[in-house]
Amino acid sequence: MNVLEVRHIQKNFGRHQVLSDLNFAVSEHSIFGLIGKNGAGKTTAMKMILGFLRPAGGEIRVCGENVIYGNTATNRLIGYLPDVPEFYGYMTAREYLTMCGRITGLTKLQTHEWLQELLPLVGLDGIKRRIHSFSRGMKQRLGIAQALLNKPRLLICDEATSALDPKGRKEILDLLSVAADQTTVLFSTHILSDVERICDSIGLLHEGRLALHGKLSEIKNTYRKETVRIETLNEAQARHLLECLDARSFIQSAERSQSSVTVQLHDPQKNGLKIIDMLSNEQIPILNYELLEPSLENVFLDVIK
Amino acid sequence: MNGFTAFFKKEWLEAIRNYRVLLLFSVSALFGMMSPLTAKMMPDILANVKVEGMVLKIPNPTFTDAFVQFFNNFSQMGMALLLLVFGGVLSQDLVRGTLIIPLSKGLSRHAVILAKYTAALTLWTSSYALAALIHYGYTLYLFRLVSVKHLFFSLFCLWLFGAFLLAVLLTASVIVRGSYGGLFVTVAGLGILLICQTIFRMERFNPLRLASENMALLSDKAAFDPLLTIAWITAGFILAALILAMAIFKKKSI
Amino acid sequence: MIQNYLPFLIPIIVLELILALSALIHLLRHQSFRFGNLFIWIIIVLFLQIIGPILYFTIGRGEDA
Repeated sequence: MNVLEVRHIQKNFGRHQVLSDLNFAVSEHSIFGLIGKNGAGKTTAMKMILGFLRPAGGEIRVCGENVIYGNTATNRLIGYLPDVPEFYGYMTAREYLTMCGRITGLTKLQTHEWLQELLPLVGLDGIKRRIHSFSRGMKQRLGIAQALLNKPRLLICDEATSALDPKGRKEILDLLSVAADQTTVLFSTHILSDVERICDSIGLLHEGRLALHGKLSEIKNTYRKETVRIETLNEAQARHLLECLDARSFIQSAERSQSSVTVQLHDPQKNGLKIIDMLSNEQIPILNYELLEPSLENVFLDVIK
Repeated sequence: MNGFTAFFKKEWLEAIRNYRVLLLFSVSALFGMMSPLTAKMMPDILANVKVEGMVLKIPNPTFTDAFVQFFNNFSQMGMALLLLVFGGVLSQDLVRGTLIIPLSKGLSRHAVILAKYTAALTLWTSSYALAALIHYGYTLYLFRLVSVKHLFFSLFCLWLFGAFLLAVLLTASVIVRGSYGGLFVTVAGLGILLICQTIFRMERFNPLRLASENMALLSDKAAFDPLLTIAWITAGFILAALILAMAIFKKKSI
Repeated sequence: MIQNYLPFLIPIIVLELILALSALIHLLRHQSFRFGNLFIWIIIVLFLQIIGPILYFTIGRGEDA
């Protein structure tokens, strides 16, 4: 079942068209990474899912219910973590979460019980300071706690890790992985390594539409480039290797940088052996022979080319 | 309803921790105590200021002088204080983006407006009532006799004007962007009312009279009925302003 | 003549002191202002009765961030 469906969404700010025809669906219990450059429209899309912005066209459904701009009833199914969450600095974390719990319709007792679980989970248990003295990472963790308060069907995180140091980033990603056991996560970012770490499906937002959409593993397979990198001991050997390779028909292209040669070839399993034969025939010693995995970065750059 | 209660509590916590409560209550108490005392001490104070060759003749102060002081203090400094304290009431939330999370948790936008207005109104009402009670007690003690017409109504008029100011401030903050946009618009609106009153003599339905004719009411120089009409009209304005604020806020991009 | 009114003046002075002192303590602890500097605000808070602390708390003090 799809927790979130976005159909033909359009949005422009004045003459600037941000989203031209955005379509995607997020199925239950997946972690969906929405990738795009800064200013690609990720935050805009998320704010429309929350009913904070009015789409110029199209419709959005959360758990089958239409999202209505303004007073948005579907928000009771959603937990939202803004990119830079703003809290009331004069409250303590517990006071803030209690307020959110009451707003979202939990009873006093329910809120209290749930907080006993939630505060240790996000590492804010026993912290009695007011929020204005919190670090960015602490605020982000508090943000996750408030997003999880209503046990949402859909957790929306907007650039949750962008403003954090590596340690804070790891904490948040780990938290999101834990959260994904209970809920569905929509995660926007421009940091590809974060996506590779936790997401199982992705959508690549480019020029107002999804340029790419699907399971991360499938996308990687589709865009797999048959690439081998061979490292020799010195540049002379590399040059020699390059000459030998250029003569072969199954080689698409070969490039050398210092003592390593990067080769693109057809059918690497069969033809890779030929290269190894050649290496031994020509008596070229090697340091390293490596089949290159397609990185998301290459896919990304390929698609938006 | 849950949302309203939770947000109302939050508004009060904010009022306490951001020193709004301290300011309003202490300044109100000060006004309540100072007004009768200044009236009482005026002859002594002026007697100390001796001007060569002049004999200041000051009539003995009465409780009316105490009320003059009280209404002066509240209609000027009191209202200025109210504007300063509640100037950022909604604007700050919108500028800093602190409403995004509560709204994403399903807080209704109507509840935001109503909770903010109710919280501000209860704060204004309780501090004003405190001032009025202290003032009444002091006046009774210092001047013995208190017998005026329409005392409660006169006090009520000034309170209603405060409530009107808060409603206008909130509505203006919904409409105008920026940290102090709402405050500027409200002050400008007050200026227009003042011009209407003093220059164009447009007084019949002018809410400003609620804050300027309190003394006249007490001394029976102003008629009761026209002011009652204005009080009703102002109550209508407040209601309309709140409905407008809710309607616009509902469709506002956050 | 002042003596006659002393019982009435004392609570007023106490309240004004409470206002001035709470503003003073707050500004010394936070030392952040929307405009002006520490010195100016200490003067305003201590020497402008009532109005000084009001101005400090409403428009003078910086954000709690």
